[in-house]
Amino acid sequence: MSGLREKILSTASDLFQTQGINSTGVDTIVATAGTTKMTLYKYFSSKELLILEVLRTGHQDFQTWLNDKLSANTKHPAEKLQKLFDYIEEWITAPDFNGIGFIKASAEFPKEDNPVHKLSTEQSLQFREYIKQLATEANIKDADGLSLQLSLLFKGAVQAEQMQRGSDAVKYAKIAAKILIDGSLTR
Amino acid sequence: MDIFDSPWLINMLAKSSKTPQGRLLGLFDILNDWLKAPSFEQASVTLGAANPLLISYCIEQAKSLGAENPELLAEHIVLIAQNAARHAIAQPDSNSLIHAKKVALALIQAQTQQSGVTTNIKGSRSALYGLAASMVIVIGAAAIWAPMFMHSKTAQAQLAEQDQTNTSINQNKALTAIDASRMYAKYEQMRQGTCQFPEVLQIPDEHKSIYLENVVGGKLPNDLDDLGVANFYLEKVRCNFTPMLMAASK
Repeated sequence: MSGLREKILSTASDLFQTQGINSTGVDTIVATAGTTKMTLYKYFSSKELLILEVLRTGHQDFQTWLNDKLSANTKHPAEKLQKLFDYIEEWITAPDFNGIGFIKASAEFPKEDNPVHKLSTEQSLQFREYIKQLATEANIKDADGLSLQLSLLFKGAVQAEQMQRGSDAVKYAKIAAKILIDGSLTR
Repeated sequence: MDIFDSPWLINMLAKSSKTPQGRLLGLFDILNDWLKAPSFEQASVTLGAANPLLISYCIEQAKSLGAENPELLAEHIVLIAQNAARHAIAQPDSNSLIHAKKVALALIQAQTQQSGVTTNIKGSRSALYGLAASMVIVIGAAAIWAPMFMHSKTAQAQLAEQDQTNTSINQNKALTAIDASRMYAKYEQMRQGTCQFPEVLQIPDEHKSIYLENVVGGKLPNDLDDLGVANFYLEKVRCNFTPMLMAASK
């Protein structure tokens, strides 16, 4: 039972990332997942709820992956901050990378009162808070400012990469991140 | 109104600075002022919208400041400006455009720093020690050479050619002041680097004293024949001129 729910979620996630959220219909999702509309609506009562669940799962996966990588391979807080963009690069340049859910969703749902827009804004903020926490642990005075800088850098790099795969955007973002982190460490 | 697509913005950018870097960074100051102006009420900054005018202007600036990938730099900077402007509208106190300007500057630096510079600096110290060590070994080996070392016919043949050129140009076998000053310049240069010449073990016996005295020892050759030989080996010695300060700073 829950296997079918997972199947619908991962199929929807793939289609949203490759074809766009708005341009992917429920019909396409059920056809690709090999199920029926009835089943889909049993688990997700509307397309919007499905989108929200896809976003939640995707963000959770990204954060967990990033956190595991950083905890497993680094010891010092300052090192974690430096390594952050190394792992972001690993995530983004992976062959199956199709974009970061919350960045794509906020572009497709620009209206601020839309629930999808709200969730993507919340996730974007969560990611920034995560960077801020790493910066605070690394004893950086202006952790708030640095987290804003790094999240702007990250978001722009992902958008550039989404526009054109293999754009080297993350390669330069990584160097720029190091310049920004080094600059705020010495301040 | 979409400010990102306006000729007004391009005009303002063109006036903002005399340098291409200044004109790229001017984007953030102009947007910041514009969003803070009292007349500003409700701006719609369309995310991901194509701004061909602004993008091509930024590509030009990125090209003239020598960016490695001008198209990408321009694209990334405009995206950051758009995101920061939206952020500034939602949270006017966040100073997001000021932070975005710092990000853009870091990206410009990332795209204009010579690739590989950092790795060179990192490796230079150990490399320097390695070369210094090999120099000591080579000099040591050369000083206590034994007759078992092989003669090199190719070196002799090349030397013969060089000797001929030298003698045909200078009929007089005595050293001129110009020759001497050139040699001293070469010695001086060698002192500033770490040099090695492992092939020293294979040079002909009759050249070994010249090499030791006039190349390693830094003593001026007695005549033009010796100068030719010394010059030949001076050219062969490989020197690493990594500045000491740079190597020591890491």
